[in-house]
Amino acid sequence: MTTTVTSSQPAHPAPPARTQPPAPPARPARRRRSTGAGLAAPFAVLLLCTVLVPVGYAAWLSLFTDRLSGLGLGGYRQVFAGLATYATVLTDPAAHASAAHVAGYALIHIPVMFAVALLIALLLNSATVRLRQVWTLAVFLPYAVPGVIAGLIWAYLYSPGIGPLSATPPVDPLSDTGVLPSIVNMATWQWTGYNVIIFYTALQTVPREVLEAARADGAGPLRTALSIKVPMIRPTLFVALVFTTIGSLQLFTEPMVLRTFTSTVTSTWTPSLYIYEAAFISNDYGRAAAASILLAIASALLSALVMRLSARKSR
Amino acid sequence: MVFGTPSGAAGGSRSRPLPSRRSLLRAASGLGAGALAGGALTGCSQRSSSAARVRIWSWLSGMDQYVAAFNSAQRDIHVQLSSIAAGVSGGYAQLANAIRAHNAPDILHTEYQALPQILTTGGLRDLTDDMADLADGFLPAAWRGVRPGGRTWAVPMDFCPMTFFYRKDLYDEAGIGAPRTWEEFARAATAVRRADPEARIATFPINDGAFFAGMAWQTGDPWWRIAANSWQVGIDGEGTMALAGYWQDLIASGKVAHTAVATQSWASAIHRGKLWGMLGATWGVGTIKRSLAADKGRWALTTMPTWGDRQANGVFGGSAFGVSAESEVPEAALTFLRWLATDPAVPRIGARLTFPSPAWAANRKVARAAYQDDFFTGEPIFDVLDRAAVRVPEWTWGPTSLSVFSAVADVLAPVPTGGTTVPRAMHKLQSSTVAMMRDRGLAVADGGRT
Repeated sequence: MTTTVTSSQPAHPAPPARTQPPAPPARPARRRRSTGAGLAAPFAVLLLCTVLVPVGYAAWLSLFTDRLSGLGLGGYRQVFAGLATYATVLTDPAAHASAAHVAGYALIHIPVMFAVALLIALLLNSATVRLRQVWTLAVFLPYAVPGVIAGLIWAYLYSPGIGPLSATPPVDPLSDTGVLPSIVNMATWQWTGYNVIIFYTALQTVPREVLEAARADGAGPLRTALSIKVPMIRPTLFVALVFTTIGSLQLFTEPMVLRTFTSTVTSTWTPSLYIYEAAFISNDYGRAAAASILLAIASALLSALVMRLSARKSR
Repeated sequence: MVFGTPSGAAGGSRSRPLPSRRSLLRAASGLGAGALAGGALTGCSQRSSSAARVRIWSWLSGMDQYVAAFNSAQRDIHVQLSSIAAGVSGGYAQLANAIRAHNAPDILHTEYQALPQILTTGGLRDLTDDMADLADGFLPAAWRGVRPGGRTWAVPMDFCPMTFFYRKDLYDEAGIGAPRTWEEFARAATAVRRADPEARIATFPINDGAFFAGMAWQTGDPWWRIAANSWQVGIDGEGTMALAGYWQDLIASGKVAHTAVATQSWASAIHRGKLWGMLGATWGVGTIKRSLAADKGRWALTTMPTWGDRQANGVFGGSAFGVSAESEVPEAALTFLRWLATDPAVPRIGARLTFPSPAWAANRKVARAAYQDDFFTGEPIFDVLDRAAVRVPEWTWGPTSLSVFSAVADVLAPVPTGGTTVPRAMHKLQSSTVAMMRDRGLAVADGGRT
């Protein structure tokens, strides 16, 4: 494969003829600086183009609104609205309901998933387990299933007339009382394995000496798990908590899939669906942009809160 | 690449002088029949480099075949199709975004109910003068549908009056006649449940706003009206409220199902004979025939039951096509659209692929002759559909129809559990729709018509 190496790779020991002349060796500091900039450039360009510019554009869009006039059949005029779009979102009952739905979702989903994932990770990490790799793979497998596919399969399982889960639980999984637990179930199924892997990897790094010392002091497996292992992977748990919190706020795929199966999931059921409806059904881009910025701010604040909590706990 | 130049087509074709519309029309007339006779629908092989290139975005099934037939039969215009996601599944978002970005295709797919909302983007060309000569050829309701505000904004292609599909074999067995009025429908609903406690007459899909609007259309009490350059909103008008009360009773008493149509569990219920019918529209002919092949000879269709003896029919679906205001080849685009709407070759192709329901009145006879029906029993389907197509009352779609459709589904969601009633939901929808329209700057006349 060496023949295909292009001339633009400066690390190549024997540069072909077309390469640039090497920089003079007399200025190492500047060279180091330019190397650093060069290495950071791809990331910086990507960050600029795919994150900063779109976020900036969304913030800009959120300050404008399309004004129609008369019958509206002649087209719209884009006018400056200032923060009025934000006020519209913040006072919209549909937006409040969507926030309540994700709050309810997060309050069930996060504790349940963390408890299950931690339990499985500790079991996998314990000395007695057999077929460890098989179990690891089995637990991780749901994460490898694309979210929409998983959503559809669960939706079929919940559907009356064809799904075995339709009549089994005490409440109809697609009714207005049952739909939140149903969505929690779908997300928990999907994401538990992912967190198990993270926790399990962290558990592997707990030093053997510490565990041996605990055993020498007479701690049983349960005591070791609760008093040694879990506290030692606390930073990992908090990082996973941040991810899960943000993911919960952005809940979209599962309710979107269920929408075609039940009218219980409204078009604005979660903040992400609310934004989708505003942008792509109502063509109200200002409101969609404002709601997106608000969602981003809420995510940032919640993540900051979780991180601060983690800092205090580990002190 | 949606906007890429096709290999072989000259990039500079847009700047060349266009052939006059008359000569294009001459070239296009009758070409479909020739193309069909030759059986050569495959190709855009010998297109000349001076052909006007027309881009179209559509999700109409069979559009690729129509485009191929058009392209292979003449050399002056080359139509280039991009299939996009259907309407509210992403198609309209894509169209609206393209219009804002000033790179919309020359021809845009729009359903009648979406046309006023698309017009609020200012992206469509006024076709009033170009289309004036065709005014009398279309079904009157389809023609009205492309003329919100009295100007012509699109070319009607197909038109879908609502119909009631039912299992004639089960009805006959249970001694139930096809319901002609909604009163008879309610009685039939009771009779169906008596014949089989698990079975229902049909489902009233509360998650489908376009369906509910089509039902309201039949009452002759439109949700929107235009008067004195402002909108009148009548979502909780007399007709809709009577409709709402009627279905509230049927849903609350469990005489109809209320789940979505065309889902897996719906199909399963139909297959197992637990749903004896479907409140649908013209497109249901193709859907039922395709998905229930084993039920051949068991299904029949009839016009929608009526309110008393007022012979009226609502509409649920149908496509039209607009021309972009920024198109550089509007004449060529119109030539294609006039062919698509009126040429007898189109329903002949359509009859092979799906079920054609042309908006061009003369083509309905062509469709009737070309479509081979061996599936349905009872009255011939085109008798039913032609009767339905000409008794469609006045109706105007609003500039926020698509948002209202998702709002219908949202406000009706708590109905099955008793969280609200259909009439109450309609009052709520009326006030939220008026508020939303005012919020966007539209002129909305005060006072509903309740």
